[in-house]
Amino acid sequence: MINIVGNTSLYLALLLSALQTFCFFKTEKKFIKRYKFFVSGLLIFSSIAFFSLMYGYFVSDFTILNVFKNSHSSKPLIYKIAATWGNHEGSMLLWILVLTIFNFLIFKLHNKQNLKYVYKALQIQGFIIFGFMLFTILTSNPFQNVESFQSEGWGFNPILQDPALAIHPPFLYIGYVGFSAAFSLAMATLISQAKIADVPWHQYIKTFVMIAWTFLTIGIALGSIWAYYELGWGGWWFWDPVENASFMPWLLGTALIHSLMIVDKTKSLQIWVLLLSILTFLLSVVGTFLVRSGILTSVHTFALDPSRGIYILTFMAILGGYSFILFFQKSKYFFSEKYFSFLSKEGSILFNNFLMVVVCATVFLGTIYPLIIETILDNKISVGEPYFNKTIIPITIPAILLMGVAPIFAWKKDNLKRIIKISSPKIIVTIILTLSFLYFYKFINFIGIIGIFLAFWIISNNLLNLILKTKGCSKETILAHFGVGLLILGITSSSVWQEESVARMNVKDQVTIKNYTIVFNEINEIKGQNYVAIQGNFLVSSKKNKITNLKPEKRLYPVTNIITTEAAIHTNLVRDLYIVLGNGNSNDGWVVRFYINPLVIWIWIGVVFMFVGGILSIKKSLNKKIIIG
Amino acid sequence: MNKKIFLVPAVLFFLLIGIFFYLLLIDRDPSELPSMLINKEAPQFKAKSLFDEKIIISNTEFGEEIVLINFFATWCSPCREEHQFIKKLSNEPGIKLIGINYKDKNKIAKKWLNEMGNPYSKVGVDKNGSIAIDWGLYGIPETYVVDKNGIVQYKYIGPITKKTYKKFYSQIKSLNNEKN
Amino acid sequence: MKKIKLYHYFIGLILISITTFALSVEPEEFMKDPKKELRAREISKNIRCVVCQNQSIDDSSAQLARDLRLLIRKKIKEGSTDKQIYNFLTERYGDFILLNPPLKTSTIFLWLFPFGLFFIGFFVILKHHKKSKVN
Repeated sequence: MINIVGNTSLYLALLLSALQTFCFFKTEKKFIKRYKFFVSGLLIFSSIAFFSLMYGYFVSDFTILNVFKNSHSSKPLIYKIAATWGNHEGSMLLWILVLTIFNFLIFKLHNKQNLKYVYKALQIQGFIIFGFMLFTILTSNPFQNVESFQSEGWGFNPILQDPALAIHPPFLYIGYVGFSAAFSLAMATLISQAKIADVPWHQYIKTFVMIAWTFLTIGIALGSIWAYYELGWGGWWFWDPVENASFMPWLLGTALIHSLMIVDKTKSLQIWVLLLSILTFLLSVVGTFLVRSGILTSVHTFALDPSRGIYILTFMAILGGYSFILFFQKSKYFFSEKYFSFLSKEGSILFNNFLMVVVCATVFLGTIYPLIIETILDNKISVGEPYFNKTIIPITIPAILLMGVAPIFAWKKDNLKRIIKISSPKIIVTIILTLSFLYFYKFINFIGIIGIFLAFWIISNNLLNLILKTKGCSKETILAHFGVGLLILGITSSSVWQEESVARMNVKDQVTIKNYTIVFNEINEIKGQNYVAIQGNFLVSSKKNKITNLKPEKRLYPVTNIITTEAAIHTNLVRDLYIVLGNGNSNDGWVVRFYINPLVIWIWIGVVFMFVGGILSIKKSLNKKIIIG
Repeated sequence: MNKKIFLVPAVLFFLLIGIFFYLLLIDRDPSELPSMLINKEAPQFKAKSLFDEKIIISNTEFGEEIVLINFFATWCSPCREEHQFIKKLSNEPGIKLIGINYKDKNKIAKKWLNEMGNPYSKVGVDKNGSIAIDWGLYGIPETYVVDKNGIVQYKYIGPITKKTYKKFYSQIKSLNNEKN
Repeated sequence: MKKIKLYHYFIGLILISITTFALSVEPEEFMKDPKKELRAREISKNIRCVVCQNQSIDDSSAQLARDLRLLIRKKIKEGSTDKQIYNFLTERYGDFILLNPPLKTSTIFLWLFPFGLFFIGFFVILKHHKKSKVN
């Protein structure tokens, strides 16, 4: 039953998207009436498809092939629901749903002045939806019947049963798909050339980009949070191709946000806005391709299938080809030869754009280089963390230095003396904070000093700008940049100053790390909802004061026969205390691994600040009343 | 601003699409890892024999006929499943089979071979996996084909199955005919 | 809702306690000399676990990772240099096993690209800036 409902909805949505793309604009009235029908219909049918699949998971309907493959009746309800988008086919339904939501929002922009413009944008967006719908129906349809009756499903990877991971895809997809709206609007702008003098197209793009960027930031952070808390070795970023696939649109998206701020005031950098809107979305599609085509293996690629890859690649070629040709032809209408000094708001944003593009290009090259070498030389190489660290960190240093001071730059041309004068107190505060930190944490390390200095540079600039109410700094900018400062602080401290210790312990043994005493109290066998586990109980104290009991586990999920390690973590503002239980038995004792990760929580707190800054920016954009038709 | 500069990303984009298409259309397993040993002299090793006190010295084993080096263990269930095909290979002329017992217990391995049949002319013991590392092993079972001149020609990863036996055997046979 | 059967429970415990996979670097692997141990860790961080998805042998719990960690420590003890150890591994597993791509003719483009792009882009922007200043 659900399969029938789902398939019908998908085919109807496919039809509507084709109509939306290829329908002609005749009169205003007809346009509004028809396209209201198309966008509403698309939204309704994609919702029906998505939620009927979710219902299938909710009731464990194993007649649906997708539910059978990815669920099990013993799974906790919340993870059954999350399984809807935790597999390839289901995640495509989520992509499509979000595409139709943004499609609807683009339609809502229409008013007397911009009718033809919105029409063009909807045609582009329609084509994107059509492409994704065709892909889903042809290669990734979740609504297929199982061959024979199945009383139970195939279960689901227990490593993925985690709250952070459950909500990570929706946030990510709002990010990726939000950029599709920017793409469509940018293409509509290019197609319309100069005929849209009174259409505030950059305002429209700005609203969608802010939404996309804000959610993409959280989506990426959630993935890292999951890796840190769940995977059990204290890392949260691995330069894995799938992670890189989300990082690249984020980098260009950041450049795009900053360029939009310039275009608000002057006509400079319009070209950047258009080009970045196109590239960011294309990178989102490339990311989708890398993850789902089977061309790479990675920690979480979806099932391998070359036919999917060929389809996405063709779609990408068409979309990319068309947008590049269009940009090449029409961009000349948007050039602004207005001069601005390097020492200006425009100049600093331009420089920032440039650096973001270099970093993005480097991540991209590093990710696909093994594929290129394999094609040309038939040799397999790896490009891992050491490469990315060595190339990207030096390039971001000037970007971060600039980020501290650039918000106060004047438009068009600023004065170096003035900038130095305003920045002097911040330089002093930065140095004081850096020295205090190094005094407290001892162990001097070159990268560490640079990282801490840069972090405090951002923090002091934004704090002082807030307190002194410096002109030209908006609340949103201060919040978001401050968040980045905290992020850098957390990243640097937790990598450079991390302490690690491994010991083989029997019950009642005790170890000392720094000023913590850890006693191995007992080892227990416990049962969870769909797993059994061995749990160690460790008493952590400092100077005879009990801090907590940490209970790391090794779990077995009988349904899939997978064994996972669950780290036990005690978090406070200053450090994370992280214990992992390893191999062992009562005779030989157990291998126990301890980590002290300083200031880790500030990474996540920093992201929250960035998120709040983003939300406030979205609110500001919406308040401008240009949006509501 | 020179318009031609925008040609650069466009050209790169299409070049990339071309590379991706190529990679997708050829029959390729992204997780497959090529062996460094192909067309090189087989790595030398000295291993204690499983059944007696003798020591197997590799260079006395190569150089006459085709040798298959098969890494296996009793605790590996795919090894158990491929064993019948190893036995089949041992019945073919012109092929010498040497087994390397990987990270196993001698007693258990001897029992296993007695029960399942011993297709190997010799079995060496690799207790700590150092021989395996010399051959660039990723896991077991793995089988290496060394030709009459002591040069490694093929690396077969995973268990030999009904589906793959025919192809594998014909590859070995063509080596036999080639070198005449 | 299906309940976990008792035998699942026991099998689970047996599996967990006798599984022979190590949890990354174990205390018995440590070298006595802390400087040598640090060297071993640094080298390990650069060696890819070829049977894992995307980890170094320093992080991985796979058997092969453990064997390679022990091999590296053995070679350090025997007096091998870092270069010799890397060569030993690439002879057997190829360049694929190095997480830091070695500087070769095939990787020159990879290494020069970021800095090259930086300087070229900087130069282009500078030129454009001068041109618009003149106008």
